[in-house]
Order: sequence, then C-alpha cells, then structure tokens
Amino acid sequence: MKGYMGIDIGSISTKGVIIDSSNQIIAKEYIWTKGNPIEAVKELLKKLKTQVQDQDIEIVGIGTTGSARKLIGAMLNASVIKNEITAHAIGTLSLHPDVRTIFEIGGQDSKIILIEDGIVVDYAMNTLCAAGTGAFLSSQAERLGVSVYDFGNIALTSKNPAKIAARCTVFAESDLVHKLQIGYRKEDIIAGLCKSVVSNYLNNVGKGKKIREPIIFQGGVSKNIGVQKAFEEEAGTSVMVDENGHLMGALGVAVLSKKKPITKQFHFSITDDHFETKGIECHKCPNHCEIICVRKNNQLIDFWGNRCSNGSLSK
Amino acid sequence: MNKIKIGIPKALLFYHYGDLWTHFFEELGCDIIISPNTNQEILDYGNKFSVDEACLAMKIYMGHIHYLLDKCDYILVPRIICLKKNEKLCTNFSALYDLVRNTFQKRIIHYNIDVGKKEDEAYAFTTMGLELGFSYRKIIKAYKIAKEKEKIMFERRLSRQKAMIANSKGLKILIASHPYNLYDDFIGKPIIRLLEENHAQIIYSDLYDEKYLEQDVSEISKRNYWTYNKKIMASIHHYQDNVDGIILITAFPCGPDSLSNEMILRKVKIPIINIVVDDSKAEAGLITRIESFIDILEERKGKHYEQENH
Repeated sequence: MKGYMGIDIGSISTKGVIIDSSNQIIAKEYIWTKGNPIEAVKELLKKLKTQVQDQDIEIVGIGTTGSARKLIGAMLNASVIKNEITAHAIGTLSLHPDVRTIFEIGGQDSKIILIEDGIVVDYAMNTLCAAGTGAFLSSQAERLGVSVYDFGNIALTSKNPAKIAARCTVFAESDLVHKLQIGYRKEDIIAGLCKSVVSNYLNNVGKGKKIREPIIFQGGVSKNIGVQKAFEEEAGTSVMVDENGHLMGALGVAVLSKKKPITKQFHFSITDDHFETKGIECHKCPNHCEIICVRKNNQLIDFWGNRCSNGSLSK
Repeated sequence: MNKIKIGIPKALLFYHYGDLWTHFFEELGCDIIISPNTNQEILDYGNKFSVDEACLAMKIYMGHIHYLLDKCDYILVPRIICLKKNEKLCTNFSALYDLVRNTFQKRIIHYNIDVGKKEDEAYAFTTMGLELGFSYRKIIKAYKIAKEKEKIMFERRLSRQKAMIANSKGLKILIASHPYNLYDDFIGKPIIRLLEENHAQIIYSDLYDEKYLEQDVSEISKRNYWTYNKKIMASIHHYQDNVDGIILITAFPCGPDSLSNEMILRKVKIPIINIVVDDSKAEAGLITRIESFIDILEERKGKHYEQENH
C-alpha cells in the first residue's frame, strides 16, 4: 500500500501523520520538540514506524511544514515544503470541506484563516507580539502551580472569572500577580486568562476580519476547553474543535505530497543516520549573512541563508 | 583645479530624485560618489547614529552618510518641507538636514524646497549651484538637461512595466511603498527576492504616470495630504485591476503610512497584505507570509481559470 507522510515541526511540538491515498490517517503521533527538531523528528519516525509495522506500507510522498520545515525537508528529502497557513487550510479542508474560518493558536504564534468556496481568501498572523499563545499559557500555568493539561477543566469551574489585561503578555503577567495578591481564587484567574487569550486574539489577529461560520479552532491551545468556551461566548456561536486539530498542518502537507511524489526512496532507517546543523557567518561581504548548513553523516546536503552567491557553498 | 566631489547617500530621496541629481552634477562637471547598496555595516552604523524612534529608512540613511564622510567634499542632504500647496511631507524630510549636520561635522550643500514660500525645485538647484561657485547660466542649462534625461529614463522604465503587464501571463503582484523602501536591499529587496523565487511578476508602485493622480487618489481617499503617500494610493488604484495581488511595504514605524495604509486596506478590492519591516533579520515570518499570500493568489487564479473554461 502507498502511504504519504506529513510532518509539522513547530517551536513546541512535532506532529506527524501517515495517510493512505484516500486521506485516511493510518498513523499519527504528537511529541515535544524540546528545542531539537532533528532528534524530535527521529523520535517521531520511530513511533510512526511501530504504528505501521504490520502493514506493508511504502512511503511515496513526504511533506513538511512548521517553523523548521526547511531543515526537516532537507533531512528527509521531502517533495513538499509548505508554509503553515496553506498546510493548515488544506489539512482542515480535507476533513471539513465546508469550514469558513480557522482559528489557530500554537506554541508561539497564532493565525486566522478565512476560506471561501474551499480556497483561502485571507489570513492574518500575530505580528509584533506573542501574547496569548501556548507558550504564554504554559508559563502562567507554571506560575500558578497547575499543569497546563488541567487548565481548561479548572477554568470551567469558575463562577466569577477575573478580568485580566490582555493587550500584552508582560502586562497580563503583572496583572495576574496583582489579582493573586488581592485574593482571587485560582480557578477565577485561570478562567480570566482563557478569556484574555481570546480577546487578545480577536483584537489583534482577528482585527477587522469577517468571521463566518462554521468556525474551527485548532493548534495546541485548542486542547484547552476553557479557551474554546471563551471563544464560543465571544463569537456567540459554536466553535468546533476536531480531535485531530493539532495534526491539521501535518495532514495538509501529506495531502499535498500526493500530487508530488518523492524522487528518492524513503526508509525509516534514516533514524540511524547522523544529522548536524551549523550556522556559520559568511565574511565575504559586509552583510555577514548567517548561513545554515545541514550535514548528513558529515556530508553537506543543503544550506541556505546567504543573500548573494558569494555565500554559496559547494555540496 | 581638482573637481568637486559630491557625495550622495543611496537612501531615502535618492530613490525619488537620484537620476535628476546625478545628471545635474555630471553636467556641471562634478565628481559624484554614491554610497553602495545598504549592507549590514551601513545599517549597524545607521543604528549607532540614530535615535531609537527613527524609522528604519532614516536609520539606513544615517548609515549611508557615515559611509560617505571621508570620501567626498560635500554631501547632498535635501531639506524638503512642501512640494505642493496644502500638502505635507513626513517631518523627517524637513529635519533631515539639521539631523545630519548636528550628528556629523561635514559640509552639506543647501537644497531646500518649500513651495509654500515660493522656493521650488528650480530654486533649490540654483542655490545649490551658486553655492558650489557655478555661473547662473550654467546651472540653468544643467538643470534643464538633467530634467530632460530624468524624464526619458522614467518613461523608459514606465513603458517597460506597461509592456510587462500587457504581455505577461504569470502571477502579477504590485508592490506598493515609498521608492526608498521598494529598492533598498534591507527593506524591499528581501521581499522582491522571495517573490521572484516564487516566479511572480513584480509591478512597482513608483512607476506610475502622475497625469491622473488627483482622480486616482480620490477613489481611495479625498483627504490625504501626504504628497508621497498620495502617489502610492493613486498608483494602487491605477494598477489594482491589472494585478493579482498587492503587497504594501512599510518601514517600521512610519507615521504617514500608518494613516494611509489603513485607508488603502479598507478600499482595495483585491487580495492585499501589509508587511512591516524592521531591522531584525528574522526572515522566517516573512517567508511564511509571502509564500502563503502567493498560494492564495495562485488558488484564486486557478479557480478563475477553471470557471472561464467550463
């Protein structure tokens, strides 16, 4: 059987799926990136491999997305290397063809994607600041001594959510400390945080966009039911969360790779190879570009980052 | 006698009047030294000699001045207050001369334009020429020839762009901004390079015939009084039916742009994104934005194509 693999390497987590030719998910995995995309992908491949061991699957398409898409694309010889926005839209549309608005809040960024007749017509990303993303929620969870996994359910128990300044992470944090000091209950503060994430998102990323139903909410933060409920309250309508919502980017590039098969055969044994990345500064002109080199078993396989041909290296 | 060496920073208004200035000084027989394209070193010096609040284009300008300091006798730093009655320029263009003079101890030639005080472009060129010791007649002749040459060069570029719009079948994207953003290696060029890598055809907003400016601009805003922003607006309105999408580039934190961008984003009917460029070198966000914008345009185009053929 032919299989298509999609990998989404984000700042916080790494997601992977293998689908068959009718877009059915055969294997899926979700792990932490832990600041090391190469090791994370190796671990991910091992886990995906055990899931498909007893099926005779040949990987004929590989796609990558997420912030480390280029690096992992070079590592795996991917045929599709796509930006997160297109990948998420294609993945979501393959499961929910009628969706009109995608809210996405990830580890370090958030975006809104607007869809009309099955194509993306507009999008926005957080531009200047990362307030209200997953990284902010996890750091606040730690401050409150609560696991980020329980955040949503604790928020739902609140009857009197605290109002927390949402414009900026730094202000939100000092506001939160203030609220703790004047004696707000923990669940009220957590519920307030969930609300502030939503109002921050709608005021920054969703500013001026026409939000139409059906709405789907995804990205790591969508696992937080408190944020989902806050979205529904704010939007005045139901907001869907797919159980595979965190996999949409990976799914999207897997779907895209069906049209563009890989040229080099793929083996899971790639996990035994040694990969290394190194940033070097080029001194051939005053620009001092940082060139990223990727080596496989001590052989240069790819590089990028040079602004001009002076910085090109021989493979 | 040694020729006078005039240094011209390749930043800000150079991209508006560079041709005119260079032809003028050539006619007068001066040596011209133009700073190179912006590079990291120029930007670093620019940061060093600017206040934090200055916009990226201003910081880059200061870097170019620094580069020219020991390479010429005079530096041309224009002071332009008003180009058209009841219109304004960013205050930076009036402040530029004093900023440079107080930051660097260097001789600057006077080039002042303030139409409100009846000091127009011809006046600016005359005072500049007299200051350098040339005769009145020679100056007027040089100015005329420079004007003529500038016009020919602009028309050549404009007709090349028109031909491209008429003949090209690929994805066409208008990049709209001040010329000093569009053509700078650290502001517009990275975006242009990304677009070219993705095989888009690029239309430049400054290549626009100002004949119908007032009419074009009124379709977007009747009350805009920023001379340079009016041109961007008019150009956007003029080209929007002939391109697939628009990328609006702003150098952080531009005052006039913050106002006029908002008007543009509300009025434009085709896909448009606003990209704000600062001096961080993080390209990841830029790549994602440009690539996904191109994906949107391609999907739209593919869809229209399908509809037309069924």
